[in-house]
Amino acid sequence: MKKSYDIAALVNDLEPVTVLNRRRPLVTAAAITIAMISIVALLRGVRPDVLAGNPDAMFLIRSGILLLLGGGTAHAVLGMASPSVGKAHMNWQMALAVALLFPVVALIVALTGDMGTAMSKMYTVGQCLMFSAIGGIATATPMILHLRRGAPTSLARAGWLVGMASGGLGAFAYNIHCPFNNVVYIGIWYTLAVGLCAVAGRLAVPRLIRW
Amino acid sequence: MIAREETMRDLMRRSQAGDKQAYAVLLEQTARWLAEFFARKISADAVDDLVQDTLISLHNKRASYDPSRPFLPWLAAIARYRWVDRLRKTYRHAADELKDQHSEGSHEDVVGAKISIDRLLTQLPEGQAVAIRLVKIDGLSIAEACIKCGQSEPLVKVNIHRGLKKLAALIESE
Repeated sequence: MKKSYDIAALVNDLEPVTVLNRRRPLVTAAAITIAMISIVALLRGVRPDVLAGNPDAMFLIRSGILLLLGGGTAHAVLGMASPSVGKAHMNWQMALAVALLFPVVALIVALTGDMGTAMSKMYTVGQCLMFSAIGGIATATPMILHLRRGAPTSLARAGWLVGMASGGLGAFAYNIHCPFNNVVYIGIWYTLAVGLCAVAGRLAVPRLIRW
Repeated sequence: MIAREETMRDLMRRSQAGDKQAYAVLLEQTARWLAEFFARKISADAVDDLVQDTLISLHNKRASYDPSRPFLPWLAAIARYRWVDRLRKTYRHAADELKDQHSEGSHEDVVGAKISIDRLLTQLPEGQAVAIRLVKIDGLSIAEACIKCGQSEPLVKVNIHRGLKKLAALIESE
């Protein structure tokens, strides 16, 4: 070795550490999502069919896909805090592929001219985006804190995924109120909500987790 | 001789628990491993700094190692991140100089030559790879590179700018 590295200082500075575990931020994000659902229910109310115990099939599909997207992506991005060459965090791709079914179907249906409530109920979009964004920021916080403690090596991808996960969970929380079952409405506006969160994540998160 | 994966993993586990003796051995072994790792990627005079930077990163991020997984792939990921970071700084440095139009004839700006990028250059479009090789590795001025490769001066600058940016992305995505 040509040089003796400053190893002694690092050894002197050594303290025991708790190994990073993604369970805690996952549970925290889940708890925040539940809190968001409660806030949405309190402020905007719960869908009548859910209250009646007879939820519409479209609501169940939408809920499942948003939960899959948010939860699967959150699991993947939290794993990025512990890097390893050759270790892929790809389970988010399947969740995203499933979630893309909505915009694809919406596009096909819209091309036939049947826009349903997608445009006539545009005035509701503002609150949909607002609640999704607030929920997104809240659920993104434990993920960002976890990544800051860890060593993510692909910052841009981590940014996209934090945005997508938190957007999915935020939209899931608002979904408990959203009364619309039209596939074009869901395909356009939910995709927009999650997409905007993903873009915001890509822009904001890398600078917060750089090390 | 550098310790094997099993030994390194055990040393890292004990280091995470606060065992300073194990940590000293781990850092010594890691420094050797890193010196070999970086020797294939950057010039010899840049290796020491990068090894030291990576040791500090290992120290600061030691909680991110999952003891149930192999140690060397984790270390390689940390090392590669530091290497990419170095490349990004090189890119920013080169981009600033291109904007300032002061790159011609300067010997200090040939930081790109410190990075062994032969394999990565093959993944760039021909024009970008040629421009980077001539100016950042062979040390030609922009004017000399223009004559040699037949590209216009603005095109050489744009190709270097875009090529370095793409190189950083390529390394990160590997």
